[in-house]
Amino acid sequence: MTNTIVKAPAAEVSFIDEVCSIPGGEAIRSCIQCGMCTGSCPTASRWDYTPRQVIAMVRGELRDELLSSNSMWFCASCYTCTVRCPRDIKPTDIMHALEIIAIRDGLSTKRSRTPVMYKCFVDSAKGNGRVYELGMMLKLFLQTNPFAALKMAPVGLSLLLHKRMPLRPSRIKGRGELKAILDKARALGGAK
Amino acid sequence: MERRIGVYICHCGTNIAGIVDVEAVTEFAQKLPFVVIARDYKYMCSDPGQELIRQDIKELGLNRIVVASCSPLMHERTYRRVCQESGLNPYLFEMANIREHCSWVTEDHSAATDKAKALVSAAVRRVFYQEPLETKEVPVNPNTLVVGGGIAGIQAALEIADSRHKVYLVEREPSIGGHMSQLDKTFPTLDCSACILTPKMSLVGSHPYIELMSYSEVVEVSGYVGNFKAKIKKKARYVDVDKCTGCGECANVCPVEVPNEFDLGLGQRKAIYRPFPQAVPNVFAVDKQGYPPCRVACPAGVNAQGYIALISQGKFKEAVEILRRTMPFAGVCGRVCTHPCESECERGKVDESVSIRSLKRFMADYELKVGREKAAPIERTKEDKVAIIGSGPAGLACAYDLIKEGYPVSVFEAAPQSGGLLRYGIPEYRLPKKVLDNEISYIKELGVKIKTNTPVKNLEDIFNKGYEAIFLATGAGISQKMGIPHEDAKGVIHALDFLKQVSLGIKVDLGERVAVIGGGNAAVDAARTAHRLGAREVSIIYRRSRAEIPAASTEVDEAEREGVNLHILAAPVRVLTKDNQLAGIQCIRMELGEPDASGRRRPVPIEGSEFDMSVDNVIIAIGQAVDKAMLPKELEYTGWGTLAVDQVTLQTDIEGVFAGGDVVSGPADVIAGIAAGKEAAISIDRYLRGVDLKEGRPTTIKRVKEVSKEGVETKAKPAMPTLDLEKREGFTEVELGFDEKVAIEEAKRCLNCGVCSECMECVKACQAGAINQEMEEETVEVEIGNILIATGYDAFDPSPLYHYGYGRLDNVITALEFERMINASGPTEGEVLLKDGSSPKTVGIIHCVGSRDKKYHEYCSQVCCMYSMKFGHLIREHVPGAQVYEFYIDLRCVGKAFEEFYNRILEEGTIFIRGRPAEITDVAESPEEQDKLIIVSEDTLIGRQRRIPVDMVVLSTALQPRSDAEEVARLFSIGRSADGFFLEKHPKLDPVATMSDGIFVVGCCQSAKDIPQSVAQASAAAARALAMISAGSIEVEAATAAIDEELCSGCKICYDLCPFHAISFDEEKRVCQVNETLCKGCGVCVAACPSGANTGRHFTTEQLMAEIEGVLV
Repeated sequence: MTNTIVKAPAAEVSFIDEVCSIPGGEAIRSCIQCGMCTGSCPTASRWDYTPRQVIAMVRGELRDELLSSNSMWFCASCYTCTVRCPRDIKPTDIMHALEIIAIRDGLSTKRSRTPVMYKCFVDSAKGNGRVYELGMMLKLFLQTNPFAALKMAPVGLSLLLHKRMPLRPSRIKGRGELKAILDKARALGGAK
Repeated sequence: MERRIGVYICHCGTNIAGIVDVEAVTEFAQKLPFVVIARDYKYMCSDPGQELIRQDIKELGLNRIVVASCSPLMHERTYRRVCQESGLNPYLFEMANIREHCSWVTEDHSAATDKAKALVSAAVRRVFYQEPLETKEVPVNPNTLVVGGGIAGIQAALEIADSRHKVYLVEREPSIGGHMSQLDKTFPTLDCSACILTPKMSLVGSHPYIELMSYSEVVEVSGYVGNFKAKIKKKARYVDVDKCTGCGECANVCPVEVPNEFDLGLGQRKAIYRPFPQAVPNVFAVDKQGYPPCRVACPAGVNAQGYIALISQGKFKEAVEILRRTMPFAGVCGRVCTHPCESECERGKVDESVSIRSLKRFMADYELKVGREKAAPIERTKEDKVAIIGSGPAGLACAYDLIKEGYPVSVFEAAPQSGGLLRYGIPEYRLPKKVLDNEISYIKELGVKIKTNTPVKNLEDIFNKGYEAIFLATGAGISQKMGIPHEDAKGVIHALDFLKQVSLGIKVDLGERVAVIGGGNAAVDAARTAHRLGAREVSIIYRRSRAEIPAASTEVDEAEREGVNLHILAAPVRVLTKDNQLAGIQCIRMELGEPDASGRRRPVPIEGSEFDMSVDNVIIAIGQAVDKAMLPKELEYTGWGTLAVDQVTLQTDIEGVFAGGDVVSGPADVIAGIAAGKEAAISIDRYLRGVDLKEGRPTTIKRVKEVSKEGVETKAKPAMPTLDLEKREGFTEVELGFDEKVAIEEAKRCLNCGVCSECMECVKACQAGAINQEMEEETVEVEIGNILIATGYDAFDPSPLYHYGYGRLDNVITALEFERMINASGPTEGEVLLKDGSSPKTVGIIHCVGSRDKKYHEYCSQVCCMYSMKFGHLIREHVPGAQVYEFYIDLRCVGKAFEEFYNRILEEGTIFIRGRPAEITDVAESPEEQDKLIIVSEDTLIGRQRRIPVDMVVLSTALQPRSDAEEVARLFSIGRSADGFFLEKHPKLDPVATMSDGIFVVGCCQSAKDIPQSVAQASAAAARALAMISAGSIEVEAATAAIDEELCSGCKICYDLCPFHAISFDEEKRVCQVNETLCKGCGVCVAACPSGANTGRHFTTEQLMAEIEGVLV
C-alpha cells in the first residue's frame, strides 16, 4: 500500500461515495482513525490491511488494491468493532459491503476460501431451500483445496456419528418461490 | 403622520452580494409603497454606511428605517443607535436578515435574491406599523453573588471584592477550592496546585468584602438584572463556624470512619471532618445522612449505631451511656429483645446483619463485670407527681423518661418484687435476676420510688393522694384457656403461673412426662424450665409447622438440643382423665391450609387422625389476656379485651390516665413495651405542661437513603457461645456473651449507615464548645445585582466502559484518583502504589476516556492530553526507571508553552502510541504478560495490533457537566448547549454572558477548559459585572408585554406561564400586570391570553400580520 501512488477519484463515482451509499457505510467520513476497531478485532492480525486501514484506503481511493486484498474476508461478524466504535461507524457492515463489491467486480481474492464458500452456501441453499452441509463442503473443497478436506474428515465423521450431518439433502416445499425471491434479490443487488 | 421609509441593503463584502443580487433587491425596494429611498452599500455597518443613513434621515425626512443585512444579534444595536443619534426613536427601525437567512444558506442566486426581496418587503410593511417606545433605566445593586468556590469562583470573587464591592461566595462543599485543590501539579509549568491556590483561598476567607457561605446552596432566584434576590440554604454543619478553631480534637475521638470523597474513596475520613488541611473556612463539619435503619426499626428508637461505634473503639462504658439516653435496659434487651433492628440492618445485604443485640448485652455485661458507678439522683425540677401502675418494661421505661424530665415518679407494683414479666415470666437461664436487679436499681438510684406489694384498685385514691397523672402498665397477666374438655383437671397448669412459681422459688410438683401446648416464647420457656426441674420427657405440641413457630428460633433450637420433643402439626382435642386425675392428652394431626389474616397458613385437622399421649402434666401456653378483675372498673375496653386508648397519645377515656404495654397491645415483646412507656412519658409531660398532646406526633424520622456497600468485604458474624449441654443442670445462663475481642471485631462490621453515630464524643472533646448536634439548616436571602455561576464539572465515571475494566480490575484508576495518589497530602502521601503496595514499573495512560466518543461525550475535554503528559512526567519522577505509555488519538497541545511541554515529555522517554485501546485485560497470553494488565490496541502508525503489558492503567477521563446542571440551569433561567454545559450568549463575542442579563457563566460549567482559561473567564465576567456596577444603572428592553386591564379576565394563565416571573396578579383589581423590568418580551403570555388582553409591544398583531403579508407578496 505504501508504495502505491494514490490516484485521484474517478470522474463518475468515487470509491468513498460508493461505500457511503451502502447502508451502514454512511458514517465512514467521520472516522477519526483511532484504531478501536482494529484493537477489538479477533482476526485483525491476519488481515492484509487492518479494519482501520480498510477505512483509510476507502477514503484514499485505493479501490482495486483493497478489493483484491484478503482483509474483509476475515471478518467473523463478531460486531465488537461496531459496538465499540466511538463514531458510530459500522465496520462489520462495511466489510460485508466490500465483499459484495469485490465479488461483483470479480476482484475477490483467491487467498481466502471465504468468497468460494459464500457462493457454495448460496447455491446449496437455493437448490434445496436449506443448506446441505455435506454437499456444500465437498463442493467447497473441490473448488479450493481438495487436500484440506482430509484435515476436516475427523470432524465430519464425528458429526455423522452424532447424526448432526445428514447424508442426503433435505428439501423444503416451495423451492420455486424461494428461487424467485433470490433471483429478485440478485437483480436488485446487481451481483454477478 | 405620513410614513417616509428608507431601505438600506448591505453587501457585507461578498457575504451577501456574492449570492444575492443586491442591486435587484434595491430596485425592488425602491418601488415598495412609502419607500422614499433605497440604497445598497458595501458595508452598511461601517462609518460611511452609517453616515449614509444619518444623512438621509436629516435630508429626506425619513421616519422609518429598514436595514437588510446580517442578524439583528450582530448589528441591531448599531442601527438603533444611528436612528437615535439622528433624532429618530430606535424602535422605528427594522432589520431584515438577508445573510444568515439568504446568502449563507444557499448557492442558488435567484432563490436567494427572491427571498431577500420577500424579507425586505416584510420589513417595510412591518416598519410601517412600528411605534416609538421608551426604554427604562433601572438601578444596579452593587452586590454580586458568585456560585461555586472553585478556582473560577475564587478568582471572580476576589476581582470584584478588590474593587470594594460586596461579594457573596456560595460553595456547596464544606470548603472552597474545587477540583483544583485535589490536583497535584499543574501543566505546563508543573507548579504545585495547592501552592498557587491556597493563598487565593485564604484571601477569600479573610477578605472584608467577601461573605463566604460554605456548605450552602442557592435554592431560589428571583428578580432581574441589577436587582436579583437569592435564597441560600445554609446546610446544618453542626459546627459553629465562628467558634471552631480547626484543632481537630473532635475528629480524633470520632469513632466513625467513612471513605473520604476528597480522596475519591482512596482514604478514610471521620464523620466529623474537614476535606483537607488547608480548607477555607478551616472549620469542621458533621456528616449526618439521617437515622440508620437499626434506629428507625427500633420501636423505642435506640441509637444502636452510636453504641456499636463506641464498642468498636473499646469505649464500652461510654457505649452504655448512649443506650441509657433512650432507655435503661441494656442487659435485659441485650438478652431477650426480639431485635427488629437486626432485620433492617444494612449489613445483612452484604453478608449477615450485625449482632446488635449481642453487642448490647456485651456492654451491659462489661459494665457489670468492672462494676457500675452508682447513678447520681436526678434533681426534681417539676412539682407534679406521676403514678405508674405496674413495674414491667413499659412502666419502668415511662418512669425512667419522666424522672429524667425532673418529675417525681412513683411506681406501684402488686407483686412482691418489681420487673413484671421480666422477672416472673422469663426464666433465670435466659435472663439472670442479677442483671434485671442491676438495671432496676439504676432506675431507683435516679430517684424513682417503687412500691411493691401495693396493688391499686381505685384510680380515685391515687389522684386523691396528690398524683396529677397516671400511667397504667399492668400487662396481660392471665393465661388463655384452650376450651377443651377437662382442661381444669388436676395436673393441668398454666405457663405463666408455672414460670412465676418457679421464679418465686415455690416448689412445683411435676411428673416425669410433661406436655406443653403452644409455640410462643412462653411455651418454650415452660418446656425448658420443666426439663430443668427434672421432667424426663418434655414435649411441645404446636398446631402449625416448624416454620411458623413464633418463639425465637435460637430458643427452639436450644430446647431441642436439651432434649425437648417437638410435636408439630398437632392440636389437643381433650384432656384424658382418670378419677379426675390427669392421665394424658388426646391430640389430632393437622395440615396447613390457606393463609389466614395473619398471613400464616391456617392449620386444619385431619379427620380420624386422633392419637393419645400419656402425660403427667399439661402446661398451657397458648396466649395471655388482660386481667380485667385487677383493673379499675371505670375504664373502657376494646373488642379484644384490651384497654382502649388514643393510638397516638395513649390517653384512656379518663383525662390524665394513660395506658400502654401489654394491657393495651395484648401480649407483645419487651421492646414494644418500652416504646409504649416512652410514648406515654411524652404524653404525660405534655399533659402536665398543658401542651397539646397530639401536635407533631407521631414524629417523622429521616431515614438514611442509601448506604454504600462498595468495597465491603464479607465477614460472617460470630456465633454466640453457649453453655455445654452437660452443664445445664440448674438455671445457669445458657448464652455466655461475647468477649471483648469478639465484640470489637463484630462492632467493626457495622456500616455506619447514618455516618455520624451521634455518640457525642466530639461534643465532649471540643474545648471551644463549637459543636452543636442539634443545629438545623437555615435559609437566608441576599440582594444582588449580578450573578456569576462557576459550578464547575464532574469527572466522567468510566465504569460503563466495561472493556476498560474500571472497578473490575485492580490498578485501573481514573485521572483524579491518580492526582490524589501522587499528591503529597493524599492517601498514599505521594507514592504511586499498586493495590499490593508495590510501585509500578510500567504505566499505561489512556487518553480520551469518555471524550470524543458518540456514546458518551462527543466533545474533546481539552485538558486530558496535557494532564496525561503531566502524569507521564510525574510517574517517571516518583518512580525512577518506570516506563510510561501514552495512548492517544490526536495530541492537542494548544496553549502557551504546551507544545514545548510535549517536547519535554517526548525527550524524557515516554512512549506515545497512537491508537484508542480496545480493551484492558488480565488474561495473559504469554509469560511476560503474567500478572500484568494488558492494554490491547492498534498502533495505528504501524498498522498493527499490539498487546502492551503494564502494571497500572490511568484512564484520562472526560470533564462533564455537573449531574445537577439541569436543575441549576432552571434555577438561574439559563440555557444549556447540546453537550450539556451552560450556554453562553455568543461563543466568540460574548463567551461569559448568558441570555439572562446579569447572569454570567465562568469556568468548566460553561465548557471543559484548563485553569488559565477559567481564571481569564472569571476575570472577564468580573469586569462585566463591575461595568454594570460602576454604571450604576442599566437600560432595559422596551419591547415588553402589556396587559389591557379592561380586557383582562384575571384567569392567570399568563401568570403561570411566564418563565421570568414578570407577571403579577393584583388581588384587588383581579387582573394580571406586567413588571416591565422583568419582562423579556418572549411573548408566551401574549400567545396564551384567551381574551386578547395581552399584547407584545413591538410585536403587535398588526405588525406581525403586515410582516407575514410582506413575505407572501
